[in-house]
Amino acid sequence: MAKVHEITVWTRGVIMDKEGRDVINIFAKAAQMDGKHAQAFDNYEDLPDRVLVTTRKYVRLSDEEIEHKYVYTNDEPEVVVILEATIVKGIDILRGMKKGGTLIINTNRSIDSMLKFIPNAKLLGTIATVDADGITGVRTVDFSGSEGGVDTSGIGKGIASPVCGAIAKVTGMIKKENLAKIVSDVSGMERGYKEVKIKKLG
Amino acid sequence: MRITDNAGLKHKKMNKEDTMAKELPGYGTIKVPKDREVPFGAVTPAPVCTQNLFQTSNWRVVRPVKDDEKCTRCLICYLSCPDACWIYKEEEDMMEWVAGFCKGCQICINECPTGALTAEPELDFKDGVIRLEKPF
Repeated sequence: MAKVHEITVWTRGVIMDKEGRDVINIFAKAAQMDGKHAQAFDNYEDLPDRVLVTTRKYVRLSDEEIEHKYVYTNDEPEVVVILEATIVKGIDILRGMKKGGTLIINTNRSIDSMLKFIPNAKLLGTIATVDADGITGVRTVDFSGSEGGVDTSGIGKGIASPVCGAIAKVTGMIKKENLAKIVSDVSGMERGYKEVKIKKLG
Repeated sequence: MRITDNAGLKHKKMNKEDTMAKELPGYGTIKVPKDREVPFGAVTPAPVCTQNLFQTSNWRVVRPVKDDEKCTRCLICYLSCPDACWIYKEEEDMMEWVAGFCKGCQICINECPTGALTAEPELDFKDGVIRLEKPF
C-alpha cells in the first residue's frame, strides 16, 4: 500500500465549522484534479454543534487507492492546519506527529510568539503563518454542508481560500492552478499563497 | 485555579431542610446507603463544586479582564454567567474569575453596567488555559 499523507485541520465549532469543512473539501478536490486519491471527512467524536469547541477535520491523500476507509481518525498527521490561533494554547495539536511535520496557523502574530505556546515544537520541520482573517475578513457560517448535504453558499468564500493558498505553497501537495478552479475567492487564495510566512526549523 | 474534590462534599452536616424531611410521611421506609444519600430537594453540588472532567478553558478565544476600580460589585456578571465563572469573595470584597471553565462567551462583558470588563485576546496571556490531549 502506498503511503497515505494525513492532514488534520483544527477549527472551532459553529463559528468556523464551515471554514474548516471548506478547507478539507478544497484540498481533497484539488488533489483529485491532480489524479491523486483523496478522502475528506469530519471527526466523528467531536461535536461541532457547540459554539467555540475545538473540532477536527481530516484529509487523506495517496497515489493509490486508500484502503483503510473505516479508520476515521488521522493518528499520525503529517500536516496540521490551525484555523484559529488560540487552539495552540489549549490542545496538544501535534499529537501523533512524526518528526519533521508541518504546522500552518492562521494568525497575524509572529511565528516565534506562536512557538512559545507549543511545548513539543521539536517535532516540527516547518512552521508557517498566514493572516487569513486579515486578507478576507469573512467567516461564513452555514450548516447546509454538514451532515452530508450540499453547500449552497459556495466553497471558499471566507478564510478557507487564503489558508488553502498557504497550504499549497508550504506543502506542495496541491497546485495553485487547480485551487483557482475550485474556490470562489480566487484573489484571496492568491494573496494567501504570496503572503504566507514560512520558517524552517531544525 | 480552585478545584475542590467532589468526595469532600459527600458527608455534610444535615441542614434545616433535611431535618424537615424527617417529618414527612414515609421518611426512612427505603434504606438508602450512606454514600448514595441525596439532600432534601435534591440539590446537586455542582456548580459550587468544580468538576475536573469538564475543563472547557480551551474553548476560549478572548477572556474577560476586570478593572477593580470601575467594578461596583453589583454582581450582574455573577448572575449572567451561564457557567458560574464569577465568584464573589466576601472577605476581600472582590470578584474572582474562574479560568478553567470560562468559555469566553462575553455575556458578562455585554451585561456589565459600568464597563469594568473588557475582552482581551487569550494569546496575550501565558497561562490560564488547561492544555488537553484531545477535545473531550
